[in-house]
Amino acid sequence: MKLLKKNKKKTSLGDKIFYFCNGIFMIAFVIITLYPVLNTLVLSFNDGTDALRGGIHLWPRKWTLKNFETVLTKDNLITGAIITVARTAIGTLLALVTNALLAFIVSRKRFLFKRQLSLFWVITMYVNGGLIPTFLLFKGLGLTNSFGVYVIPGMLSAFNMLVIRTFMNGIPDSLEESAQLDGAGYMTIFLRIISPLCKPVYATVALFVAVGQWNSWFDAMIYNRMRSDLTTLQYELMKLLSSVTNQGGSVENLKNAAGAVTPTSVRAAATIITILPIVMLYPFLQRYFVTGMTLGGVKE
Amino acid sequence: MSLTRKKKEKVNEVPTKITWKEIKRQKVLLFWSFLIVVYGVVFYYLPLAGWVMAFQNYKPKDGIFHSEFIGLAKFEQLFHDATFLRVIRNTLAMGVINLVVCFVTAITFAILLNELQNNNRKKVVQTISYLPHFLSWIIVTGILHGALSGSGIINELLVAFHIIDSPINFFAHPKFFWPIVAFANIWKETGWNAIIYLAAITAIDPCLYEAASIDGAGRWERIKYVTLPGIKPTIIILLLMNVGNVLNAGFEIQYLLGNGLVKSVSETIDIYVLKWGISQGDYAIGTAAGIFKSLVSIILIVVANQIAKHNGEERLF
Amino acid sequence: MKQKKIISLLLAATLSFTLLAGCGSKTDEAATDTSTDAAATTTEATEGAGEVREFTAFFAVAGTEINDDNEIQSILAEKTGVKVKETWLTGQTDKEAIGTFIAGGEYPDFIEGGSGTPQLIDAGALVALDDYIAKYPNIKALFSEEDWDKLRQADGHIYFIPQFGTVKNEEKVCTHNDEAFWIQTRVLKWAGYPEVKTMDQYFELIESYQAANPSMEDGTENIPYTILCEDWRYFCLENAPQFLDGYPNDGSVIVDPKTLKIIDYNTTPTAKRYFQKLNEEYKKGIVDPESFTQTYDEYIAKLSTGRVLGMIDQWWNFAFNVNDALKQQGLDAQGCNYVPLPITIEEGINNQWHNSGAVLNVSSGLAVTTSCEDVDAAMKFVNDILAQDLHDLRFWGTEDVDYGVSETGEFFRTEEQRMNASDTAYKASHLCTYSYFPQYTGTSDDGINANRPDGQASEFYDGLHPELQECFAAYDAKTYVDMLGTNEKPGPWYPMWSFSNSLNTTTPGGTSWVKIAEVKHEWLPKIVMAEDYEGAWTDYMEVYEGTEPQAFLGEMQTELDRRMEEAAKYN
Repeated sequence: MKLLKKNKKKTSLGDKIFYFCNGIFMIAFVIITLYPVLNTLVLSFNDGTDALRGGIHLWPRKWTLKNFETVLTKDNLITGAIITVARTAIGTLLALVTNALLAFIVSRKRFLFKRQLSLFWVITMYVNGGLIPTFLLFKGLGLTNSFGVYVIPGMLSAFNMLVIRTFMNGIPDSLEESAQLDGAGYMTIFLRIISPLCKPVYATVALFVAVGQWNSWFDAMIYNRMRSDLTTLQYELMKLLSSVTNQGGSVENLKNAAGAVTPTSVRAAATIITILPIVMLYPFLQRYFVTGMTLGGVKE
Repeated sequence: MSLTRKKKEKVNEVPTKITWKEIKRQKVLLFWSFLIVVYGVVFYYLPLAGWVMAFQNYKPKDGIFHSEFIGLAKFEQLFHDATFLRVIRNTLAMGVINLVVCFVTAITFAILLNELQNNNRKKVVQTISYLPHFLSWIIVTGILHGALSGSGIINELLVAFHIIDSPINFFAHPKFFWPIVAFANIWKETGWNAIIYLAAITAIDPCLYEAASIDGAGRWERIKYVTLPGIKPTIIILLLMNVGNVLNAGFEIQYLLGNGLVKSVSETIDIYVLKWGISQGDYAIGTAAGIFKSLVSIILIVVANQIAKHNGEERLF
Repeated sequence: MKQKKIISLLLAATLSFTLLAGCGSKTDEAATDTSTDAAATTTEATEGAGEVREFTAFFAVAGTEINDDNEIQSILAEKTGVKVKETWLTGQTDKEAIGTFIAGGEYPDFIEGGSGTPQLIDAGALVALDDYIAKYPNIKALFSEEDWDKLRQADGHIYFIPQFGTVKNEEKVCTHNDEAFWIQTRVLKWAGYPEVKTMDQYFELIESYQAANPSMEDGTENIPYTILCEDWRYFCLENAPQFLDGYPNDGSVIVDPKTLKIIDYNTTPTAKRYFQKLNEEYKKGIVDPESFTQTYDEYIAKLSTGRVLGMIDQWWNFAFNVNDALKQQGLDAQGCNYVPLPITIEEGINNQWHNSGAVLNVSSGLAVTTSCEDVDAAMKFVNDILAQDLHDLRFWGTEDVDYGVSETGEFFRTEEQRMNASDTAYKASHLCTYSYFPQYTGTSDDGINANRPDGQASEFYDGLHPELQECFAAYDAKTYVDMLGTNEKPGPWYPMWSFSNSLNTTTPGGTSWVKIAEVKHEWLPKIVMAEDYEGAWTDYMEVYEGTEPQAFLGEMQTELDRRMEEAAKYN
């Protein structure tokens, strides 16, 4: 902070113009970005039938709490919320530990299979066996109809690993070397020396994983379809929105399902309910990557 | 910064020799690697057995192991279809455009956000910026459709400023489709994509900024000589990863924004697969297209990785 | 030392977690293996009953789930001893969902496979129902012997029961649920309720109304005519030529009833004239310029503002949403409601926009799977809920709560009850129609009431706005159907769409069928917007021929011949 103030004193004309333009840009950016979110919020408080007419922008035309009532009285919503919180917590923890560990291993300069192990994971990002083979595998492993299917299959991901690895690569080797001279093993270095420095990237990856966990519903539907005690929040919401992938249904089927499609306003309410917890969680993580960390203290 | 980098490369170039002593020294690392590889084989490589479906006349009844073998027939079918070649072009075009614009906007946004003086403002702006990520495409495309329609805000503004005489029906012209898709991606994901760069920026040693200021560097110089080099490894890694993803230009957005008039530019590989494969119960076509995408992706990242290696940059493997 | 402990702890935790997950699922599998036991033990929800058995059902169509403690479901469970937990298609195509079930080899007790039904039969997942159908009279009574035979698969067995298209006693239909040229009552009223019989007259009427009244009461400009053509909903644009020539909705082709030959409606002179008309109207500014780019949501929004004077559409595609919105804004009083018109290309052709009688869907229906432990109990349930009292409970609701009974025994609903019946939350907690189980339309066994509220004439008429009543009266009609007149089922082949729906790319005809749709979707908007219509039409026809439509038409002809042969056995 001191640093910034010092800079301010010295601001040249060019800098002033820069700050001004930057401010304008940020305001424009915020307006453009905020609009879809605000519009969704507004729609969620507007009467569904009325909203069909369109033309609702920044203020509801016909207030109602009905949309939220419809969403919140959905059966199994509580079960779904509990499972979702559980999978988010457990899944994020597991993913963070395993990805960090893998990143630590492949970022060790001396590690024997550094390239091979990296390549092994990089490939996983671009190959996919398809839904049915994966289903058969999970069934064979006994993961279907279980909570495990939420947290075990996606635990390690090349993307998250690489993000952490890149960060770890930026940490000077001398730290590791001096610790090794002190007789520390690899795990001590990982837990005591590297990890504390990686808080910003851990926070980032935790956010990615948590959001992924929070939003996922497809696994609940495919692998735990008949287990309503293992349903997730998003799956319940998806069912409520009966999002029709119209491509497959015949017109006759749709004719019979007509009127089953839920109005946009209920979709909006469901979206708001989904976003809210994440908005509240964010400030806790945010301090790691907005305020900035002082690495200087731990550097040699 | 550049000094330390060069030193690191030299170490990289000389792989550690496999000796018993080294193995013993690294036994903890090797032990965990082993577990991790087992996990990877089971969850990522085992399902690839499903690729055999591309060479079969797959019938759910017979399963993967007993369906009739048809060799490369499905691949031939794909590459003899003019439509498939067209959807490859569309996918590549949109993939590349999205890759470039999303990269530039996210990095620019992260840097500019970092330049905001007031920490509270910084936090507020950032929180707002990533919110659209949580809106589903159906909501975002709905709003976009409204904004770009004949009576939408964009046309109203364009007419008001006399840029055009009468409203343009943006969705009726193939030439506007790719830019619209790019814009939609920027709108939805810029803030979210910037998170990684913001995390990387925090790792930059503040002393470097101080040193730069003392040397009389202005804002621009500091961005150019401190911030950008500081997040360069992150940029390179993400770029490399995403180069492999250009064939995954998406499905939902093109599906939701497309219409009959722009069909020739809007259909992607994924839409093609849905239309000719999944919704026809033809798993082989979908799998064949998937294998094609995987092969292209792997070739692309290997090439990109070699280029990165050649230039002494951070690389994937 | 401490670190080692932490590591071993972590390891232990990870391992035990994996093991736990493994074990957990093993017990689950055991439970599903004996699914009836599992089902029987999950009866806690219906307190006290103890005897209620739970079945599971999956429907590969979009639908809305009902709550576990749904009131009518509980009553039905009490009366039948069975409760069915229903799940619907979410975010997948039907074939995809069915494919996963087949790969896993585990099924719910009941299943509706949609277009994945042949796969299910092929995989041996369905129970042959022939013997059970004979055993349960209510099920047996659903169809004639001829219809049941149509449902037999290649191996001679019946595997599924179509849920819809069964009319009991006298048919009671008030709404024309299908396609038509619709027009707002204000246009007809302004012109003094003229006879509108041809496409040219229809557009002439719209043009002259638009010239005289370019905007609505509140000043909003009218949109004279709009066309929805988003994705699969482009039927609003493409299939009118079959109706204009006086043929019914065979869906994909015309069947000449005299020669029994398949005719391609895409290339008829009528098709050319119809699109030419649209082209002319487009140039005049009568056809909404956003027609070909609008989404379904935007289309519904437009109709809901009451600005659109007319369009072609299927009733179910717009009416449920739009009518409520119009009513809420009081636009029905301004004559913004839509009525169908009996339009053909020339005068003197009998229109067949509306057909009476049942349409048997031979391609899918409710099936019982091999995972069902007690097929008898499952079929008994299907039989039970077809009984009149339970059928009333499903579709009308509970007496005095959802409807009242007049002195003459006629069912009626108050405005509030009507509102409830269309309220999402109320439906989830209270109503249970088991909507993808077999059911009836037509008249109740009491001879008075319709089997469903929407067929109840008095109920229907009371719900209409006076503007609509006036319009109907002017045409000597009481219902939407009367506006068009009705026709008998055209022939035993009808409808051909039940075959074209089941086509897939494994045959040349199926491939051609998909290609035809692709080409039409791209070209029809182009020719309507073309400067030079003749040139555009020629280009279109050239591309169209490239899809080898003959392959498709040939397969349709073969199916038509097969159907006629089958039918001949019963004469």
